[in-house]
Amino acid sequence: MEESLKLLHSVVQAIHPLDYADWEALSGIWKPFTARRKEVVTSAGETERYLYFVTDGVQRIYYLDDQDREATIAFTYRPSFGGIIDSVLMEVPSRYYYETLTPSSFIRAPYIEFKAVAYERPAVERMLRAGMTQTLSGILERLVEVQCFSSEDKFRNLLKRSPHILQLVPHKYLANYLGIDPTNFSKLVNRVRI
Amino acid sequence: MRNFALSINRTPMKNFNKKALLQRLDDQVEQHIADAVALFQNRDDEFLNRPSVNGGWSIAQCLDHLNSYGHYYLPRMREKLRAAPSMEKDDFTSTWLGAYFTRMMDPETGKGKFKAFKGHIPPAHLDSAAVVSEFIRQREELLYLLREGARKDLDAIRIPISILPFIRMKMGDVFQFIVAHDERHMRQAKRNLVPESIY
Repeated sequence: MEESLKLLHSVVQAIHPLDYADWEALSGIWKPFTARRKEVVTSAGETERYLYFVTDGVQRIYYLDDQDREATIAFTYRPSFGGIIDSVLMEVPSRYYYETLTPSSFIRAPYIEFKAVAYERPAVERMLRAGMTQTLSGILERLVEVQCFSSEDKFRNLLKRSPHILQLVPHKYLANYLGIDPTNFSKLVNRVRI
Repeated sequence: MRNFALSINRTPMKNFNKKALLQRLDDQVEQHIADAVALFQNRDDEFLNRPSVNGGWSIAQCLDHLNSYGHYYLPRMREKLRAAPSMEKDDFTSTWLGAYFTRMMDPETGKGKFKAFKGHIPPAHLDSAAVVSEFIRQREELLYLLREGARKDLDAIRIPISILPFIRMKMGDVFQFIVAHDERHMRQAKRNLVPESIY
């Protein structure tokens, strides 16, 4: 737990530095949480009540359409925040699933407690805003990638961002994330030398 | 009393704490998936189809052989587990035959070599990427089934075994057999990663 909070602290300080009292208040609301491979942490239709911070493993957020087709929206891994962030912050039912792709450890905080801390402490609120802005910027960048990049460029970009992901995550999820046919994905693995 | 206890210990009807048994199997399947992802899925087709140093099965053949069992068992297990009522039952007892099959397949207890049965003999050249991906898909499903098993009576559900369909094995024994068999051929497949080793 101490180790996890230290990791959270370094990530939070990089987003927006907090003073001692603010950090004390924020760090007091987290509890450890673990899940094995292929466990659903949050289901579509359920309102997410927790903020997650990943300390181990890889997870994905995916959308399931009415024909049971999956669309992998994002991967989360150490050390970053995880979970269905719009469902938490807007307090509405999630449209997505959050599941583990490998055995995973997190710390998580009930949103209701986070809200109370952020209400009392403007620096925590600013940290949240800065974090959300970074996330938004990442999502816009990903939209460009989805619309403009070739399969090979998307593949290279993924490996640049997450060099170890090929050794951790089954190809089918990576292919799905990139919107590439699994057969073409394995051809890319063999052809493209990083 | 002592003699009685001894004879109990020697009986092959082994009783398990169900939760502990399923947890152990879950851990083993987890390792098989993690190994397939880390060690096999990124290798090229030529490497995965290469026969072992002593002319034995390639990595793709080992996995395809395991897939052929999964192909038979997983749909049947899924169907039976889904149909079975949920209940609190904390233990599971292996039958003599179930324990025998598992011991024979487990590489720790069954040291002999066996010939693959008809319908489970892998062809020499395979679409290795498809084989690895099917292996991972099946084992992810096996994890779901093991977790569903926690809420079911593993003594009551029975599945006809693939090589002798007139024998129906308890679900708890099928789980153990499949995982022991996976372990056996995952070890064999991993030996192909070290071409110079002479097992």
